[in-house]
Amino acid sequence: METFGLKIIASDKVFYEGRCRNLIIPAPDGEKGILPNHENMVIAIAVGIARMEVEEGKWTEVAVGTGFAEIVNNRVTLLVDTAERPEDIDVRRAEEQRERAEEQMRQKQSTQEYYHTRASLARAMNRLRLAQDKKWNI
Amino acid sequence: MANIREIQGRINSVKDTMKITNAMYMISSSKLTQARKKLADTEPYFYALQGEISRILRHVPELRHHFFDKREKIPAEERKIGSIVVTADKGLAGAYNHNIVKLEEEILSKPGIHKLFVVGELGRHYFAKRNVEIDTNFKYTVQKPTMHRARDISAVLIDQFEAGELDEIYIVYTRMENSVQANAEVVKLLPLERSSFGEIKMPLNMYREEIDLYPSADAVMNSIVPNYVTGMIYGALVESYASEHNARMMAMKSATDSAEELIHDLSIAYNRARQAAITQEITEVCGGARAQQKK
Repeated sequence: METFGLKIIASDKVFYEGRCRNLIIPAPDGEKGILPNHENMVIAIAVGIARMEVEEGKWTEVAVGTGFAEIVNNRVTLLVDTAERPEDIDVRRAEEQRERAEEQMRQKQSTQEYYHTRASLARAMNRLRLAQDKKWNI
Repeated sequence: MANIREIQGRINSVKDTMKITNAMYMISSSKLTQARKKLADTEPYFYALQGEISRILRHVPELRHHFFDKREKIPAEERKIGSIVVTADKGLAGAYNHNIVKLEEEILSKPGIHKLFVVGELGRHYFAKRNVEIDTNFKYTVQKPTMHRARDISAVLIDQFEAGELDEIYIVYTRMENSVQANAEVVKLLPLERSSFGEIKMPLNMYREEIDLYPSADAVMNSIVPNYVTGMIYGALVESYASEHNARMMAMKSATDSAEELIHDLSIAYNRARQAAITQEITEVCGGARAQQKK
């Protein structure tokens, strides 16, 4: 099967660099799949879970933050602020983050603070979702 | 020649200062190792982000978006210019803070209504004395830069930019060229300018085609630009943090070295003075004894 070059760069590390068969990323309006020889495109990425198929039938799930994906000449570059594997997620910390965000949501805040908290909550929920999905699979 | 006690006092005071500079040297060098690691982790993101934005701008020439709006109708005197200034929390870092302040002064000398967002205690004190408008709610330290802090800062700035409270946003920070060279730099964050991305070197032999933006150019830009600003701020904070500790380490190293030199010189002077005193005493004793013999 054909493959394409994939590079996932998070703000704190180069998360993945290598070949990939199939990639599904969370766009603002739903998930989007990328197969080899995709049209050149730039896609916005929302907070969510990306999945990549590096080997036949073996999917890796990654919790990603906001950013964008760029597809040029069968090469895909994902630039996201965070990228984490399920096993790297600290469930307790994510839980605390969620509680903190929820606590702040209940208080009166400015629009700017509200968006900020909402984004923080989304990231926490996303981490928890991925970490917990994994737990059930075992 | 100064007397022994004076020289002794001087040596002790230099020794005490040396203890401090040496300790600061150790602290900075250990912090620098952490900062270097962080820098190495962030650099791919930082440069890739700049590269991608420049590529998108080159391929999508007809883009109209409020982040690109230069607001040319506003005359130069009435333009509201915001700058993020990244200084250290304290001095004792050689020319590090001075270079940043000098660059910021250059921006301040240009026409327009200036507003400063100072990160770092030292810069805050300096600019508070100069009667420039400083955002007082903007209290962030430069220690241990995090993505969270960068998000906070960029949210504030983008909000003000969109509300029309700021027309231009710059960031003044120190970029680490290599382990000995660090340069203070000004980067324009908003509005985005095509020309400012021009210098980034891209391989020329690569074939580039039209790029589609999905779901729409607007949606992509709305997602990318705040991200880009956050990423740039984070990168700048990390670069500054590493440069600061590098500068402080070098400053403290040379301070310790010159303290050692000073102690060396002083101890020679001290020994001379001590010997002179002993010689004098002996002469006196001998003189006394001789006077006794003559009787």
